[in-house]
Amino acid sequence: MSIDKKEVKRRDFLKGAATGVGVGVFAAMGMYSYSDARKELFPQKERKKKDIGVCKSIHVTNISETSWFDNATLIGDIKKSGGLLVNQYDYNWPPFGNGQGLGKGSYKDGMAKIKEFLPDRLDEAWDVILENCIHPDNPGGYSCLIEMEEMDGNKRKFLLDTGWSYKWMDECFKREGIDTMLRNKEIEALFISHEHFDHYWGLPVTLQYDPEITIYIPEGFYEEGLQYIKDCGHKGEVHVVKNGLFEVAPGFATYVFPVPIICRVYGEQSLYFNIAGKGLVSVTGCCHQGIIRFAETAYQEIAYENDNFHGIYGGLHISPFEDWDPKYDDLVISLGKYGFERIGCNHCTGVLCAKKFINAGYPVVEGTAQFRSKDTAYLGNGDTITFG
Amino acid sequence: MERYGTNYLEERKLIKRWSGPIPALLNLLFTLIVFYATWWFFHDPRGVMRMYTPNVGYMYTCWWLIVMIWIVYLFNFWPFKRKWLENTHPLTKGLVLCAFSFGVLYVMINGFFEGILGNFGLAYFNPDQLVKLPGITEFFAVEYSCLAILMFAAIAAWISPAWVIAMEEEPWSKLPQPAKGFSLFICTFFLSTIVYFVTMHPHMGILYHPWQSFTSIAPPYWEGFADTVSGNFHMAWIMCCTVVVWLLETIWQRYPFNLIRNPWLRRIATFFGIIVIAFAMHFFLYFVQELTWGEAIRGTRRAFAPDWRWLHVAEMAIFFLVPALFLNFYCGNWPRKFSMPVNVLIRTVITLVAAVTLYIMYYKTSHLFLGTQKGFSHPQQFPMIPLIWLVNIWLANNWFMDNWPGWKMVPKTVEEIEADHVARQAEIDDVRWSPSLGAGLGMGVLAGVAFYAITIYALPGLYAAIDILK
Ligand SMILES: [Fe+2]
Ligand SMILES: [Fe+2]
Repeated sequence: MSIDKKEVKRRDFLKGAATGVGVGVFAAMGMYSYSDARKELFPQKERKKKDIGVCKSIHVTNISETSWFDNATLIGDIKKSGGLLVNQYDYNWPPFGNGQGLGKGSYKDGMAKIKEFLPDRLDEAWDVILENCIHPDNPGGYSCLIEMEEMDGNKRKFLLDTGWSYKWMDECFKREGIDTMLRNKEIEALFISHEHFDHYWGLPVTLQYDPEITIYIPEGFYEEGLQYIKDCGHKGEVHVVKNGLFEVAPGFATYVFPVPIICRVYGEQSLYFNIAGKGLVSVTGCCHQGIIRFAETAYQEIAYENDNFHGIYGGLHISPFEDWDPKYDDLVISLGKYGFERIGCNHCTGVLCAKKFINAGYPVVEGTAQFRSKDTAYLGNGDTITFG
Repeated sequence: MERYGTNYLEERKLIKRWSGPIPALLNLLFTLIVFYATWWFFHDPRGVMRMYTPNVGYMYTCWWLIVMIWIVYLFNFWPFKRKWLENTHPLTKGLVLCAFSFGVLYVMINGFFEGILGNFGLAYFNPDQLVKLPGITEFFAVEYSCLAILMFAAIAAWISPAWVIAMEEEPWSKLPQPAKGFSLFICTFFLSTIVYFVTMHPHMGILYHPWQSFTSIAPPYWEGFADTVSGNFHMAWIMCCTVVVWLLETIWQRYPFNLIRNPWLRRIATFFGIIVIAFAMHFFLYFVQELTWGEAIRGTRRAFAPDWRWLHVAEMAIFFLVPALFLNFYCGNWPRKFSMPVNVLIRTVITLVAAVTLYIMYYKTSHLFLGTQKGFSHPQQFPMIPLIWLVNIWLANNWFMDNWPGWKMVPKTVEEIEADHVARQAEIDDVRWSPSLGAGLGMGVLAGVAFYAITIYALPGLYAAIDILK
């Protein structure tokens, strides 16, 4: 009898305990997990405040920000080739066309058709491209010239990205006098932000004027992208910048982010300039990592003048296809907190986003909407901006 | 009187064709083959229809789920007759009922949402209306309207079964079909509409520029609490509700709410209990991400953005549904030999371990065969679509095909049905208050809180040790 009783007691205890565990776990989950008290568990990060030096000013010339001229055509091409996951070299876009139609191209076939003309005979290459590529007139490109003044007044020039269409980019280079600067070896180096078609595929346009220019690419390029540098007839140094901070000159550093990007691209390199007396200026290609992450990284990693975010130039990759999502409103709302004093955005920021920035009262530097740039809401082709 | 499929699921006896684990493994293999073939045909970005845009595929996936729930839980298979359900070959039944559900789904999406609401009420339900907005491309017009339509299904996938499971079909449980079905349908559809308007409508309203502040509340009221204006905050807790409804119905046997003897108290406690448990899960799964990846930063993209973190809460919740349903459908709700609370606890632990394992496996390998991209927060990475698609196939296999091919169905005799009821009541009566049970309960609560504390303490280190993406 007493054994039975003990057994009943044991079983009752187990039933209670099993129920209690569930109640306890869910109660704790519900009451603690989203309470303010939880924040005490987050690790407090020490800011590194790495000294990257200072420079006096930078002057940015927008060579081209119009990566393509018609959104619907580009999105249509992407959709018909199988979507945003398809390898960019397979689209059959300029310059890598093999004449087989949308989504059926490859780097190898495309390159075989144009290799003999690179980098000097781009007009002839263009004729081949017109024959073999899909929508050869839709591509434009993204590229800008950065003139940095050092503290002693010495001026240095760098290119960020080299655009896409050979024809369009060559026109733009001539319009801004980049061809002459390259020929005279005035431009020290070409920084490639990432492997995307609109930033990188115009490489021979730079190399035809200066095949020896030093090139900096971020870690994460695919095989085709690396081969392209060789196939374009480059004769200078190539540096693969590793993920993280890379100091180029006093007041100038780049940062490589290991981000997966649409159209099978990996990693983006963005630029920091520390302007004396003003603060930090971010210069970006597409900024696929996100401008807030870029700013937060600076906050954690480096020291900059007055601990102040001063300015932005470049693409912010928010609504490149003029699409919208409430998460972009989160960005528009929170960007104000970072206190940037001059915002020179364009390219994949999206006109809609620039307008939302303006509505939110942010110091957006407006443009002139020349040379096929679409709207004065942001810095267009041929416009310039100075920080410092 | 024709009963259609009233109580069909509990009045059928599923008999294994082979002993041991063979039927379960066979059905797993069968459903995975169907899954992969249909995934390739409908969703895969390299396949035929390529609906993984992602919202188009997501919409059809969610709608198939809710239509099946309606057919089985609200309408008890009406207008299909009981004889037909009992005597038709499972394969024929599966094909006919799936085709029927696709027909209903088509009428709902194209007829009701796009046709009626989209043309005469709210433009965003119809891509053809939305595309008239200057600057919007066709691709995104379709994505937006699919999102709105699928969210309705997600909400109904919680409320409709909750009314059957928690409210026990009241006050219409005595009505014959289809009167009961239509009553439940109209009631839960109405509630889903209300929930839709106070959760997702403000999300849709701020897709426009300028914000449609005069027709939807903008910025949305949850902004401060959720740290985002995105409706993903709601998507997350609603998905948690759906998952909790099915956990309660399957591996939890409606425990502990079934202990409440007063019927209306029990029903209301269950209905709101589901929401409370879902919110606990909702907050916890968000916290888990903060512990492993760091605090979210508003305005960032992807893995650090609060809106994506909330979306991921919903994604993580679905990982729990998959093993729970497998345990219930194909493993006979194992184990059954202990008392109900102990059984429930063991099943929950199994589900938890299996869900975490599935999560790790999914992120390590799914990009190799689903045509998605590697990474947690890639814009093209939506685990909810393949997982719910798989769940749909299991539901069709269990509800429509009586677990064919591993099992065969014979109707239970009146005595067997009666014996089931007695056994179920005995299980409930077995849990009675006693001082020992009280002591166990107290100790259990302490142990539960301790388990929670240890989990959040150990999680950052554990996560770092596993490193899923390497
Ligand atoms: Fe770009
Ligand atoms: Fe890009």
